[in-house]
Amino acid sequence: MATLEIRDLRKTFGGVVALAGVDVTIRSDEILGVIGPNGSGKTTLFNTVCGVYRPTAGTIHWNGVDIAGKPAYAIGRLGLGRTFQQAMSFPALTVRENVQIALEHGSRREDRAGPQWSSAEELLEFVGLEGFADEVTNVMPFGNLRRLGVAVALGGRPAQLLLDEPAAGLNEGESVQLTHLLRRAHELGVGICIIDHHVGLMAELCARLVVLHFGNKIADGPTEDVLNDPKVVEVYLGDVE
Amino acid sequence: MTDPPRPSSVRRPRNSAWPSPGALILTALVVIGVFAFPWLNPGYRALSFAVTTGITAIVLYGMAIPFGQAGIMSLGYAGLMGFGAYTAAILSRDFGLNMWEAMPFSALIAALAAGLFGLPSLRISGHHFAITTYVMCELLRIALINGGKFTGAATGLDLPPIGTVFGVKLDKLSNTYMLVAAFMFISMLAAYCIANSRYGRTLRSIRENEQLARSIGVNANMHKVGAFMVSGLFAGVGGDLQAYNFRHISPDLYGGATSLYFALMVMLGGPRTLFGPLAGAIIVTFLPEVMRIDPVDSRIAYGLALIAVVMLLPGGVIAAAGRFYQWAARTLRGARAGASSTDPGASWT
Repeated sequence: MATLEIRDLRKTFGGVVALAGVDVTIRSDEILGVIGPNGSGKTTLFNTVCGVYRPTAGTIHWNGVDIAGKPAYAIGRLGLGRTFQQAMSFPALTVRENVQIALEHGSRREDRAGPQWSSAEELLEFVGLEGFADEVTNVMPFGNLRRLGVAVALGGRPAQLLLDEPAAGLNEGESVQLTHLLRRAHELGVGICIIDHHVGLMAELCARLVVLHFGNKIADGPTEDVLNDPKVVEVYLGDVE
Repeated sequence: MTDPPRPSSVRRPRNSAWPSPGALILTALVVIGVFAFPWLNPGYRALSFAVTTGITAIVLYGMAIPFGQAGIMSLGYAGLMGFGAYTAAILSRDFGLNMWEAMPFSALIAALAAGLFGLPSLRISGHHFAITTYVMCELLRIALINGGKFTGAATGLDLPPIGTVFGVKLDKLSNTYMLVAAFMFISMLAAYCIANSRYGRTLRSIRENEQLARSIGVNANMHKVGAFMVSGLFAGVGGDLQAYNFRHISPDLYGGATSLYFALMVMLGGPRTLFGPLAGAIIVTFLPEVMRIDPVDSRIAYGLALIAVVMLLPGGVIAAAGRFYQWAARTLRGARAGASSTDPGASWT
């Protein structure tokens, strides 16, 4: 089991404190959700862990290796994959090429990495895009583009996947398909950590939730307990009465 | 799980790295045409410009790798060619090396210089990077002018004749032409192989979405500088050939203005197509001279052509011709059988 240990992580942009000393442990044997209002530091947390930003202070250990401040590509190669808030692909390339590039790079250390795909076709079949291999991605429907984003991330053979709002912009049916896909990826041994505002999806998918508010962690525990936490209800969910 | 919706998106007709039969036939015709050119009695002037065009095309095929594949435009290629040419001239003068012996050194020095020219791409991009490389190219020209006896100052350096290889006297213009044509096709093949390799795909991932590429383990910084170094090899070989073809080189050959012409050529022809760089070199270097177009008129025409290509044919004239061919093929086949099939033509990617 792979473990991502984040301790006292701080990230500031000038005078703005995006992360004010966050402690989170993410294990690859669980599906963890990160929720919180806009501007609470969720995406900054992912970006700092994945090497887009250098942390201001604190430590990030992935399987005991200090990855704080390492370049993004080096972190990707260690088996820590991610998707982005915006649906991303290599737009002028085909679906097959998108996945092929991920398979050719990404994690090379089998002891730490996730599922080993033998070919682009196998991975595309796994995510349900096998009929689209020769499509150019810049004109794909949004739902398929989201699915492709997950495929590209999985192509890097991650042991842990950080998904930044993967269901944003998807309709109900597409969200359900995505949930199934993520469950199946988890069954293959890929740890899932997901940011999303869709509380229903998070409640269904995640066994544990972490709640951020103004860069601070205000809750961390089993999903049901967190969703009933008065503080979480106050700052994020709102009073349903 | 239900199937995702079927998109009405653009579909790539083929996935093979191998060219289509149509592209192979076209390539064979071009190879035959280029090598047969001297037998058409083109005259000394046209043949001389054809040699210059071939050498230019070698540099352009190198330039097409970072520009066409990684999407990084540089305006420093005349400078890189200058590194190759001056390396050849200095090694000839100081160590007595001939063209062949100097060629690996020219390529290596130009590649190292290209790595240096490419370093700013790690911090800046787009027009800012292009301007930076233009300035570096101009700085090189000024350094060559002020290089004293070592670089021959503003006068430049002289070189000996190419000499004889396997009994063939390469100083004869038609033989020089054949030599340059061979190197040009080797450059074309090398550029094609790079574009269709795993390395080419990696460069394209950086061009298309650098942030995503980094997240899946692509060392974008290393590959960007590496692409420049590979293209520098081409420029170095081109510089070596040019130095021995002209037998005299001077700093003005390798300034920013020449680099701008290189950029114009590669954009006109198309950096992502097999024949794009060659077409660009022919359009800008060969045709105006052979057709005896007034230099001022030709410069006005280049400007207009560049604006037209950027606005109307962003992939260059060869890519546009390929698209026209695909459209015509679809239309004809559709008219015949209602079928829809396409041919990628000579496209690299």
